[in-house]
Formats: sequence, C-alpha cells, structure tokens
Amino acid sequence: MVRRVLALTTGRIAVAILTLVALLAVLGPLLAPQDPLATSDTMLAAASGDHWLGTDYLGRDVFSRLLDGSRVSVLGSLEVALTALLVGAVPGILSVYLGRGFEWITLRLADTLVALPFLLFAVAVIALLGNGITQAMLVTGVLVSPLFYRVARAATLAVARSPYVEAALISGASLGWVVRRHVWVKVLPPIAVALAQTIGVGFVIVSSLTFLGIGVQPPAPTWGGLLASDLGYLSHRPWAPLTPALLIMVTVWGSNLLADAIRDVSGEAGRALVNQRRARANRPDKADPAPAGGTR
Amino acid sequence: MTTEPSPRSPSGTREPSPPEDSTGTRAQRSPGDSGRLREARPTGHSPGPGTTPPPVLQVAGLRVRYGLGRRRRTALDGVSLDVARGETVGVIGETGSGKSTLARAILGLVRADAGTIAIGGEDVGGHNRRRWRALRRRGVVQYVFQDPLRSLDPDLTIEDSLTEPLLVQGVPRQEAAARARTFLDRVRLTEELLGRLPGELSGGQRQRVAVARALVTEPRLVILDEPVSALDSANRVQILEILKELRSDGVALVFISHDLGSVAGIADRIAVLHQGELVETGTARDVIQRPRHPYTRLLVSSAPTLHGAPAERAERAALRALLHV
Amino acid sequence: MTTLSDNITARPTRPYAPGNAAAPGGSATTAPPLLAVRDVRISDRVADRDIVHGVSFELTPGRTVGIVGESGSGKTLTCRAALGILPPHFEIGAGSIEIDGTDTATLTAADWTALRGATISAVFQDPASYLNPSIRVGAQIAEVVRVKKGLGRREARHRAVELLHAVHLREPELVYGQYTHELSGGMLQRVLIATAIAADPRILIADEATTALDVTVQAEILDLLADLRERAGLALVVVSHDLAVVSQLCDEVLVMRQGHVVERGPTRTVLHEPRHEYTRLLIAEHEQYGLDKFLAKEDA
Repeated sequence: MVRRVLALTTGRIAVAILTLVALLAVLGPLLAPQDPLATSDTMLAAASGDHWLGTDYLGRDVFSRLLDGSRVSVLGSLEVALTALLVGAVPGILSVYLGRGFEWITLRLADTLVALPFLLFAVAVIALLGNGITQAMLVTGVLVSPLFYRVARAATLAVARSPYVEAALISGASLGWVVRRHVWVKVLPPIAVALAQTIGVGFVIVSSLTFLGIGVQPPAPTWGGLLASDLGYLSHRPWAPLTPALLIMVTVWGSNLLADAIRDVSGEAGRALVNQRRARANRPDKADPAPAGGTR
Repeated sequence: MTTEPSPRSPSGTREPSPPEDSTGTRAQRSPGDSGRLREARPTGHSPGPGTTPPPVLQVAGLRVRYGLGRRRRTALDGVSLDVARGETVGVIGETGSGKSTLARAILGLVRADAGTIAIGGEDVGGHNRRRWRALRRRGVVQYVFQDPLRSLDPDLTIEDSLTEPLLVQGVPRQEAAARARTFLDRVRLTEELLGRLPGELSGGQRQRVAVARALVTEPRLVILDEPVSALDSANRVQILEILKELRSDGVALVFISHDLGSVAGIADRIAVLHQGELVETGTARDVIQRPRHPYTRLLVSSAPTLHGAPAERAERAALRALLHV
Repeated sequence: MTTLSDNITARPTRPYAPGNAAAPGGSATTAPPLLAVRDVRISDRVADRDIVHGVSFELTPGRTVGIVGESGSGKTLTCRAALGILPPHFEIGAGSIEIDGTDTATLTAADWTALRGATISAVFQDPASYLNPSIRVGAQIAEVVRVKKGLGRREARHRAVELLHAVHLREPELVYGQYTHELSGGMLQRVLIATAIAADPRILIADEATTALDVTVQAEILDLLADLRERAGLALVVVSHDLAVVSQLCDEVLVMRQGHVVERGPTRTVLHEPRHEYTRLLIAEHEQYGLDKFLAKEDA
C-alpha cells in the first residue's frame, strides 16, 4: 500500500508535506529562535532580521510562536483522528458480526453522535472536565467517530456477503479467520482514506477550538490561536494572519491529497491503475496484459 | 465418450423400472417408482438392511420459510432428496424455485423450519454454529458458486485461495501447498498460476480454481450452484469433463441449474424443483424422455436443442396455460 | 433519402394483421435484401487493430440469420455497426452495410435517427437497463409511437396496449401502467420487444436477448420472435453464444470466433456437416452434455 501510494505523484507530494509538518511538530519548539512567550517593546513590528515574521501585539516573536505551536496543533489533530478510528472502526467491523443487539445499539449511538452539534458539545464537556487540549481532542474524536463507524461497517458488509467469505465459512473458518484474512484487507483502504481526511479535519477543529480559546490556555501558542490574535490587529498588520492560515491550509491539503492517493491505489481499480502505469513504463510494446495459457 | 448414461448404483438393489408403471406425477409419493427412490426414503440413522452404506446426503420433508407475518413466504416445502456415494444428482429449478435455498440449507447457511438433513448419516438439523463449524472443518461438504468472478477473494493469490480450506483444518502450510498443486493439476491448470491474483485469470480458469478449492479437502459431497452458466462453450465442456472424472472417485455431486440441458449429460438422476416443491425425480433418461409432470414437460420442450424435433410452439403454449405461468 | 422514406410509406404489409404475412418460402430468396452486410471490418482506432475481420450476410423479409460466438468474438460489434451505434473509438474500416438498398456510409446522424426504430431495431441482453425505472413502461412505448409515427396522445396509448398484446403479455392494460421493478425479466424483455417493434421496423436484431432468462422464458421469447416473423414479415438477426438457440430459429448461421467468421451456411448444413473445429465443439457440447444426447438417440 505504501509503495503504491508513493508511485503516484500526488501521493509523493502529500507524504512530503505531512513529513515536513511532522518534523515541525517534533523539532518546532527546539528550533524556535526566541522564547515564544517572551514579550518585548517592539509590538506589531514588520518582518525583519530579528523577527522573521514580525511580532504580535505583545511584542512576541511570531515565527517562534508558530514553531512552538505546531506540536500542540499536530498532536491534537492526530489525537482526534486516532480516537475516532478506535472508537469508530472497531465497532463498525464488529457490528456486522456480533448480532442484532450490538448492531442496533451501535447504530443508534452513531446516529446520536451525528446529531450532536460538536463545538457546543465540546464546550460543554470541557466545562465539565476542565479546560485541556487532551479532553477537548478526545471529545472531538468521539464526535467524529461515526464517520469511521459507517465506513468500516459498509466495507465489512460488502465483504461479509461475498461468496468467497461464504466459501471460507463453508470450509469451517472461524469469525476471527474471516476477519483477519478477508475483511481486514478490504476495510483498510477506506479507513485509511477516512483517517487522512480526519487528520485534515482535526487541524481545522484544533485550530477553531484554540481560536475560541478552548483547550489551550491563552499564553501557549497554537496555529489557530495565532490566527485569532492576528485577526484583532488587521488594521496594523493586514498580512499577519496569512502565515498561520497558510500553514493550516497546506497541512489540510496534504492530508486530503494523501486520502485521495490512498483511494486511488486501493481496491482492484487502484491496483489496475498502478499496474498499467508500470506496464506502460516498463514494456511499452506489450499491450495485452491477459495471461496466456493455463490449459495443458 | 459414452452416450450411455450409466448410473452406477452403489447398493446394487436397484431394479430397472419399467416406464409403464410410472404414472404418478409426484415422484416422492408415487408408489410405482424405481427402487432407488424407495431406498432413498429416510431410514433414520441406521443404514438399511444388509451392507448398504448410508447415502451421503439425506434430505427429508425439508421446509424453509422466509420473512415474518403477512410477508412470510415458503421457499421450500416438503423436499426430500437422497444422494448416494459417487452419484450425480441434477436439481433443476428456475428463478424463485428455491434451488439456491436448498443448497444453502444443506450447507447450514439457512435454517430449516421442518424436516431433516443428514450428511453421511449424521443428522445436522439441530446443529448449532459451533457444531456446524466442526462438521465443515472435516471438509466433507464443499460448494462451488455460480459466479467465478466473485467467489475468489480478489486480494488473495490462487495459492492462498486453494490452501485456505486446508489451513482452516490445521493442515501444515507446506502440505497444504502440495495438495493445492495436485488439485490444480486435476483441473488442468498449470502451477505458474499459483502466484497470480484472480483478476489476472480468465473466467474459465477462475471457475476451475473454484472447483479445485472445493476438492482440496477431498469432500464426499460437492454442491455446485450453476457452475457453468457464466462460461462459454469450451470452458463449459472442460468443467463438465472434470466433474465427470470426479464421479469415478466416489464424490457425490449435487448439480443445481436452471437449465435441463447443462445437467442432462452429467447427471445420473434429475430432480425438478417448481415453486419450492420437488415435482419429479427420476433417472436423467426417464425425466428427459418421459417427463410426467407438466412443468417437466415444459422444461424439456423449452430447452434449446440442435437436432431432435423441438416441441411445437402450440404444445408449449398449452403447457404454459396449464401451469399458469 | 427520398427512396428510403418512400419505401417506408409505400410499405404494403400491415403488421399484426393475421394472414397477411410475407411468405418466407422460395420467393424470399429472390427478394432484394433488406439488410446486406458486405465484408465488414471493424477496427479499434485507439489500439489500432481490427476487431472484426470481414463479416458478410444478407437478410430478406421473413428470414432469419443467426450469429453464434462467445463474448469478444465481434458479434455484438457487428450488430452495433448495422445499427450505427458503434462505441466511440470503433469504426468500420472496410466493407459496406446496406439497409433497404441504402449504403449506411452515406447516412447523416439525422438519417440514422429516422432509420432506427422505423426500419431497423434491436433488443439487447439486459432489458431493465434499457427502460426508465421511473416512468410507466406503457408510457415509454407510447412515446416511441408518438415520436416515430406522429400519433396523438390517445392513439399512442391505444397502440401501446395493442403492442403489449402483440408480445403476448396477458394483461396489457395492467402492464401499461406498471413500472420496471414490478415486472419479471421475461416480461421486461417482452416490453422491450414491444418498444422495438413499436415503429413497425422491418429488421429486428436480438442480441443475446434471451441469455439472462430462464429456459422456459427463453423459449417463450423465441416463440414470440418466430411469431412476429411470420405475422409481420419481420427479418431477424439472432445473436447468441448458444448454437442451439440460434438453430431453433434461423435459416442461416454464421459462427464467429475472434472476429473471424469461421463457418457460414444454411442451419441444416452447419449442424450436419460442420467444417470448422470450433463449430464441432459447439455441436459436441450439446450432443455429449446437452439434451441432444437423449433426444438424438430417440430419433435413431
């Protein structure tokens, strides 16, 4: 799967972007040239040698704040996606197999979660559990999990009714065997697509939450927080929100690109696509991919 | 190629039935039927007198219903069918006749509302999920699907598909691979296909792989649901030849089809399903040359043939009117 | 173009009037062909290779030509060429197709539209996909009648019911008001045949029209086609992968394989003295594994 994604140009671009973002998240706080919390007298300064991206309304170095804030932003979105995956995909697969009761309950739960307005709900939960990025992300993860539930369930349903699964059952295969050998491979690609998509959505959510001041306490920098504070001073520095906005946008775009690439290469059509490209690249003269023979 | 269909009777008790005495239209209840049918009556777990082995498959009074309340529909009603060792029984039925339900009931994929099913003398009617799995792991019964496109996992290589039934049984991987090779050879495919994916094979090749997969566990009973309907002539003949060879190994086949023609050349006996009921059972020759039930007559006269006077249009129209189809 | 329309309007036979059928006997052989396919080659422009390598046959009123071959043998492409509906990158590389004396190479798109349905028509394998599921089937037949025959709303409805009756649907009035999902495969195929003959075509192409159907229903459809041929003097092209289906109905048979016509001749000759190995295989399949195994014996 990884190799097939990398065979596509879009896949390579997406992986490059996301690797860069991940590096930023790991190394960002170390790379920050100045203390992201240190205020100074030069407020709302333009870009200069000292401050590459200028300073904000308290005179803090914007570049340092961006680098420092990347960890929280990236980890936050990952947390959302992984929580959603765990809470959504596993019951999604099992809902096909664990009988009517489980199916009914999980389906209704998923419906309920979809019906909840998630920002409001997140605010309410944080009011209960206390303001913290982890709580906020876990709640958001649970709230977007119906996507994973539906995707995993649909993919599993399609496989569960196929003759080859019945053939395996007729041969005496157990449920675990069927899931491991037949279901998992088919469910993985759509889930990977959903995951990449959710990482993108996660960024937007983390950014909007921190923009609202939920999850992260004000002095700590995040991309969304930067965007929020910059917006207050548009008249002084109209270009300032550009950098955090661009960062968010490129990262989300990278995630979506990855999701597209995964979708393109997964399944039979995807395999055919990649094989075709390879065939065209390697042997342009051999037009007919149909295997000959087989008969004695 | 012999033109004589020689139904080998394992019991040896079967006397040739004179055609004159076959007057009843419902084979199960007709008293003057052949000895095979009398022998076929369910005798419980004890095999009949003497050394007669129990039939590989005994179905008696099977009834399957779908749905609930007002939408309840009977798919099968009072179906009785026995298959002896090494025997090929063709089950003919058109859309909605319940033929697939019959196959699925025999395989334990559908629960029967009434009646008994015994496989190799073992009553499987009351089996729960676990006991079915234990039975299936012995590899006694196998199934070949109609659609060769979807009956093989597109993500597994041919070798993985072929060895699966054996690996499930707990056969070591190497031995399973060796057995897979043997049976690939039996269905006239070369070993180089083992590493391929189903998508790289032609329809005929795929169906032969599906047959090989059904055979690797050396089953005593194979149920084939329209195994040649999706194939062209050359592949059709090849599959039928392979199936014919199986009979000499003592494998019993239940060959389900909507087309009398595709079953005629291979079946020892033919059972005709019509709207959930078996309307006629008999040797292939009797059913085709002297069909008794009007529906069977319609089937025979409708089947396209090359030579031999096809029944007149008027006769078909009369039969249709009689059957209200 | 004038000759073509003249031919249609001047056509003497009234379809479905019993006893008015064109005699399919000896006179048919001398009549000018309705459909003449002359050494037609069809090529794939993208892959730049020939798919069909020379097909020829002639069809006169009341006669039937059968084309037998497996999928990919080029039989469907040949039919589509005769209907002027070849898929995008296919083209007729050589040879000619004449419909009622007009070379189809000279036809414009508008000419083709006028010709299809009125002179040459077709039914295909999957009837459900040729009918609109959200419109009553009767209305779809009436639409054809209104467009092609210029009838009014009420007349068209009347005619559509007549057509449904002509294809032996038991309750034509009831079927008229039904949707596709309420009808069985055999009934849908009959509705499609009714649509195909709505504008009184003189040639009907049945491309695997019975393949997806049960055997008894297949027989009904074949009986219906034979019936239409006798009553309306329809010329039929029957395409199938099954030699037996074709031999029931056809006067002449073409056996195609990989784009080549490997055998061509009167049905009887092809069945009794097959020259090509592939034809022998098709026959052997029936004689060894089909009903013929038993029926042929009875004859002997």
